[in-house]
Amino acid sequence: MGEEEEKKPKAEFKFPPDETGLGIISAVIAVIIVILPGLPAVLKAVGVIFALLWGADSVRKTSKYGLGTGVPSIGVLGMGYGIVGALLGIAFVKFMGPKLGTFSSVAALGGVLLMGVLGYISGVFSNHEKIIAMKIPKLERGMMELGMAGTLAMLLEFSIVAGSLNFADVVDKAINTGLIALMFVLSMMAMFHPYNACLGPDERRPRTLMSSVEISGLLCLILGIVLVATATSLWSGVSLIIFSAIVWIVFYVKFVKACMRESDSVVGTGLIKTIE
Amino acid sequence: MDPITILLVVVVCVIVGGVFASLGVHLLPVGGAPAAMGTATGIATGTIMLMLGAAVTGLFTASTVATFSKNILLVALSGAVGSWIMMGVTMLMANIIYAFGAGVVPVSGRVEVDPITKEPQTPYKTPQCDGHGVPNVSYISGMVGAFIGGFGGAFMYFALLNYAKFEPTMAAIAAIGIFVANAILAAYNIGGTIEGFHDPKFKRLPKALFSCFFVSLFCGVFVGMVAFIGGLI
Repeated sequence: MGEEEEKKPKAEFKFPPDETGLGIISAVIAVIIVILPGLPAVLKAVGVIFALLWGADSVRKTSKYGLGTGVPSIGVLGMGYGIVGALLGIAFVKFMGPKLGTFSSVAALGGVLLMGVLGYISGVFSNHEKIIAMKIPKLERGMMELGMAGTLAMLLEFSIVAGSLNFADVVDKAINTGLIALMFVLSMMAMFHPYNACLGPDERRPRTLMSSVEISGLLCLILGIVLVATATSLWSGVSLIIFSAIVWIVFYVKFVKACMRESDSVVGTGLIKTIE
Repeated sequence: MDPITILLVVVVCVIVGGVFASLGVHLLPVGGAPAAMGTATGIATGTIMLMLGAAVTGLFTASTVATFSKNILLVALSGAVGSWIMMGVTMLMANIIYAFGAGVVPVSGRVEVDPITKEPQTPYKTPQCDGHGVPNVSYISGMVGAFIGGFGGAFMYFALLNYAKFEPTMAAIAAIGIFVANAILAAYNIGGTIEGFHDPKFKRLPKALFSCFFVSLFCGVFVGMVAFIGGLI
């Protein structure tokens, strides 16, 4: 099973759609996986990878113009909103649970939408000429996408660890154990690190996004180990470990090879000659 | 208290925390990449790393005090002291490295005379540079900034913990999430580097406070909703 899923992001990388296309594809995949919490952990990991890929792409297109404070800031912003949005999402699930029954996870999308609105508002504040005036094209859209991608990624991670989006389960298994801090840090790494590490004149989008998938694989690997260690469900934990280890190793090797292939060669010219 | 009052108190506390975070960021001596080469005043890292580090240290002390105290002022002040210590140590170590490692004296690049100690600055500045290290005025400004930021973060934590009835971990992570969002908006307002309250960029402060007020208002309403519809209050 792990083998089959692993092909999907790979095919994405060979023919990466444009920014809007990738955003729509990732959002649709992540949303479908969020509203079906009964899926196996491996499929949820695919959702996490796509959501974080979307976030990394948004960071890339926003930071291209120079933020002035470094690339990491906008990734941290996205995950900061992601935390608030995910808490809001699970609260909505609890609230709508009696009415929606088995489809109660659909309510979690309320948190995603509200974070999109908040992201858009903060984008307007940052870009408006009379307020902060950053003058970055499409910053509003970038911040909106970051808020939504962060929330989706966080909800999926909750769903992996707790097995559902039930408020009490998530608080008990994902938040009170302190795992949320690890998810927060590694998710924001998956968002900001690729562009932060790859930026420069010869930055290439597929190579940057490869790094994001690699970090998401690492995150899912750790979540898999957590699943096995807490013995919530052994089989889903082991399959998640196998799948994410494959993703991590494949994309790590691909990324390093791409970097080596595309880097400029250093020519030895010997010592500087002294003029006599 | 009835739920509406609690919701209002939570929103007000989150707004206070967010606005204090924004104000605190404006007071820190942030040097960014130029400071890493010793060619600008401040600590050689971004605003977010400094403020997040200060806030997290503040939350450690605040959460420890919150386990045995229900006094909001005591918890908030302990948070302020925590981030105070973190910033103080960071600025001191930065100065030691600049002075004994790079061989430059801490000097401000934006003012000719230190506004507090009245020491001359320009004669000690390397030509073509924008200052070095953390001079006295920036040090004091940074201490005040860390105090205010830590106070805001711990204030928000206490409100989420005791009024919104979040679990301690949940309150801490939600407080960090809201805190960083506000700190980052303030950092965008600064646009990279700032020396402290004497920097000309400090005059842009009202714009950041305005945006942070509204962003914290929304975040406050959202966490209030989490507490309300999540059945915590």
